[in-house]
Amino acid sequence: MGLLSKILFFPVTGPVAGIRWSLEQVQTAVETELTDDSRIKQELMELQMLVELGDIDDAEYVRREALLMQQLREVRSWREHFGMSAPGGPVRVARGASAEE
Amino acid sequence: MMDGMVSGEGRTVEADSRRGDDAVGKGGETRGEGGKYVYCIIRLDSARDFGPIGIGDGANRVYTVHYKDLSAVVSDTPIVIYDPTRENVLAHEFVNETVMREHTVIPMSFGTVFRSEDDVGELLRSTYQAFSDVLDKMQDKIEFGLKVLWDRDKVIADLERSNDEIRRLKDEITRNTQSSTYFARMQLGRLVEGALEDTGNSFVSDIHETLKEVAVASRSNKPIGDRMIMNAAFLVERHREKDFDEKVREVSRKYEDLLTFKYTGPWPPYNFVNIKLKLEKAE
Repeated sequence: MGLLSKILFFPVTGPVAGIRWSLEQVQTAVETELTDDSRIKQELMELQMLVELGDIDDAEYVRREALLMQQLREVRSWREHFGMSAPGGPVRVARGASAEE
Repeated sequence: MMDGMVSGEGRTVEADSRRGDDAVGKGGETRGEGGKYVYCIIRLDSARDFGPIGIGDGANRVYTVHYKDLSAVVSDTPIVIYDPTRENVLAHEFVNETVMREHTVIPMSFGTVFRSEDDVGELLRSTYQAFSDVLDKMQDKIEFGLKVLWDRDKVIADLERSNDEIRRLKDEITRNTQSSTYFARMQLGRLVEGALEDTGNSFVSDIHETLKEVAVASRSNKPIGDRMIMNAAFLVERHREKDFDEKVREVSRKYEDLLTFKYTGPWPPYNFVNIKLKLEKAE
């Protein structure tokens, strides 16, 4: 086979490998997007600022806060789904650990 | 380095090897049993009650769990995840404020729940030295927050009056409405952007310099939103609180036409304590 298989299969194997690679990239990107709560926290702080400055009223604050809390909960459940650490919930001191300052 | 706060950043998620533990919420929860929400750590070697001001539904009593001369300030809670809603965050803060009136506190991050009083005791035992050291360092120190926002349009209007080059270009553009002004407009835009950045930086460093004299330490955080040019925290000795107040008032008067000051505190030293706790999930 050797050269012949390369000639025969090259046009096929090339793109397939490429597709698999890019699908993995998409998967990683999706995982990162689903499990990142920094944007939500940033938005929460901005929302706080808006209500303090009087740019939005209290009812609007409450409505948007509820949406952000929902998003936070979703991120938390995705983090659990992917086996990552999730904020909140009961904790205890890890065995054999000593805190560092 | 001291920054951040006590948090579970070093949290590791491991399967809990304890099996057959009693189920959560076995009913008839009394004080001393069930979950504990931890607000802060203080230097105190005896029991204390801070009243029914705890987080959650109902009037949960806030009290202390102690080990040697350290106490954790806690209230009973079901094993739940607390959303950082305004209501919950304010409840957490209110307890810390109350405790702070008489004690130096190391604040815990929002939402820290332990399964039992024993687990809280284990936290104090295993982290005793780090908590003690930080409490010594933070003795009689409090934190103030200062956020500074600007009105871009006002600052630009001010620049157009005070900056000769900008004024000259602007006049030129107003006089000459031909297409040749396209380049001048571009140049003006760039000039204004640059001048804005310089002005913002000089405001911020001037404010920092003024307040540094009366603070022990300061820390700059990322501004929130596009109108904020400064988001800083200052660590201040309790007995210099009045001096710090006075300086903030002085500098805000100086810039009252252009800047809005949001001055908050006293806070526990959130931005100046960083103890990374090795915590793991307790299911």
